[in-house]
Amino acid sequence: MKQLLRSAGRAGWLLSVGAWLWSPGPGAQAAAPPGNPAAKATPEEQTPRGFDLPGYWVSIVTQNWRFRMIVPGRGEYVEIPINLKAKQFADAWNPLTDEAAGKQCEAYGAAAIMRVPERLHVKWQDPRTLVVQTDSGMQTRLLNFAPAATEHAAPAPANESWQGYSVARWALHPAPPAFGGGAGAAKPQRQYGGMEVTTTDMLPGLLRKNGIPYSDKAQMSEFWEVNGEPDGDQWLTVTTKLHDPEYLQTDYYFTSIFLKEPDGSKWDPTPCSLTQ
Amino acid sequence: MSQLMKQHLLAAALVGLLTLLAAAPASAQVDLSGNWALLDFQNSLKAGPGPFPNSFQGIPINKDGRDAALSFDNESLSELQRECEPWMVHYVIQGPFGFRITSVVDNHVSGEVVGWTISGEVYDRLATTIWVDGRAPPPPQALHTWGGYTTGVWRGDTLVSTTTHIKDGALERVGVPSSNQEVFRMFITRHADLLTITGIIHDPIYLTAPYALAQVFQSTTTADPSTPAMHCAPELEDTRLASGYQIAAYLPGQNPAVMYMPQHYGIPLAAAMGGAQTMYPEYRKVLQKEYKPPTKYCTQYCCERGYAGQAAVCKTRN
Repeated sequence: MKQLLRSAGRAGWLLSVGAWLWSPGPGAQAAAPPGNPAAKATPEEQTPRGFDLPGYWVSIVTQNWRFRMIVPGRGEYVEIPINLKAKQFADAWNPLTDEAAGKQCEAYGAAAIMRVPERLHVKWQDPRTLVVQTDSGMQTRLLNFAPAATEHAAPAPANESWQGYSVARWALHPAPPAFGGGAGAAKPQRQYGGMEVTTTDMLPGLLRKNGIPYSDKAQMSEFWEVNGEPDGDQWLTVTTKLHDPEYLQTDYYFTSIFLKEPDGSKWDPTPCSLTQ
Repeated sequence: MSQLMKQHLLAAALVGLLTLLAAAPASAQVDLSGNWALLDFQNSLKAGPGPFPNSFQGIPINKDGRDAALSFDNESLSELQRECEPWMVHYVIQGPFGFRITSVVDNHVSGEVVGWTISGEVYDRLATTIWVDGRAPPPPQALHTWGGYTTGVWRGDTLVSTTTHIKDGALERVGVPSSNQEVFRMFITRHADLLTITGIIHDPIYLTAPYALAQVFQSTTTADPSTPAMHCAPELEDTRLASGYQIAAYLPGQNPAVMYMPQHYGIPLAAAMGGAQTMYPEYRKVLQKEYKPPTKYCTQYCCERGYAGQAAVCKTRN
């Protein structure tokens, strides 16, 4: 029996390592076993099943309408966990001063852009980079995928920008490992999943067009999910967590909902404005 | 084959099987169970003090829905016969509470999870069980309730639920109605300690487009955010309704607060009356011509109170 247990120990260690290599953990980058051609698959090729992001999307503004569709009145700060410093900043803020200073896109930065009423145009710039363009404010977000779990995404730019630097990764739902693998083995289906995006290196900006600020210390985490309905409607929900030690008392969570459109016929590029 | 080799092979097979079983989930289901606290930074005004009167902007209602909403008198909620009516199933992403999710296990035959129950909120909303065992919904003529009947399927790590058999009720607390033809679909996705629920409400009677909402919840172990269901006993809340079963409602054209949003927030009346066009970005061009921002600094519901351990930003929330 002791011999059996010793054997089991050795064999178990080897097989455990094999199984660990084989089964992606929650949120893991899509990885394939060494030697498998899928190991060299690009992020574009690894797109989760059902996650049909490229195309045109329109904001559906059903929540926080009064703070998104119009420029909210002065002092309307409810539903954002601002601190006293942020309130003082917003109370003193003047849109005309900032527009004159060329900062009219400060309300279209990465921390606010997904809640701007807008259309998105999403496409792959290259197999490792998703481009998200907006017609409102004419902004461009680059979502940089790391080539593999052990490598890094493209290096962050030296300077901060409105859209900052975003690193994306697929969050795949763990699936049972495929047994067999011989000639008769069924081709494994792509896994369902979503996309996680972390954004840093943002210029200081505004969460609302009445002066509520976020700082260049802010860090943003997003979860993108695409869900389909039986009638063919495709819904994109982006869940955002904003951490800003300078202007927020707690992390700020919100969602942005988009509906997929068949084409770009309603695409309407409009420049940034702090007063409209 | 030597005895030793047989032992090695037997051991390898045994451990390998156990290891692979442990590495693979027993089923495709994500564990949703636990307490989920609401992170309400996008609906707290509506969920708390309630929507402003006659503020239907961003709601894709049709004329029938608007007419019904304009006949709504908030006093109707205090009518004895209505006091204990819960909100509809979609209130799970509109209400001010978190909830507890528990799995429903078939302890008799399969031992598998056959459903997930989202706890109720006090007496505001009934518990909802999402059946994931493949059962079909009841026939159309079956009993309709405030909670409806919900089935679900897993699509990867997202639980997709569909609720039908919902009674006539309220789409929003501002009097916008929902019909017994409503279909409520939820996409429930867990992102580590966060839970996002995207809810899509289809109602061919009162809506011209799907009404999409989403809400975020956070796993919590320090408190139970799901206040247990309580018995509700009607009692007199409004002395004007003391004489019994009155119906508080406005006749057509007699709602006294139609102009509330234009007067308080400069929102054009046509926008405040809602409709699908008001939820799309191009409607901002209409608003830019007609919207007049308030000239005075905010006086009500201006900002959040200070959070635990933080200085108060506003003395009160109001």
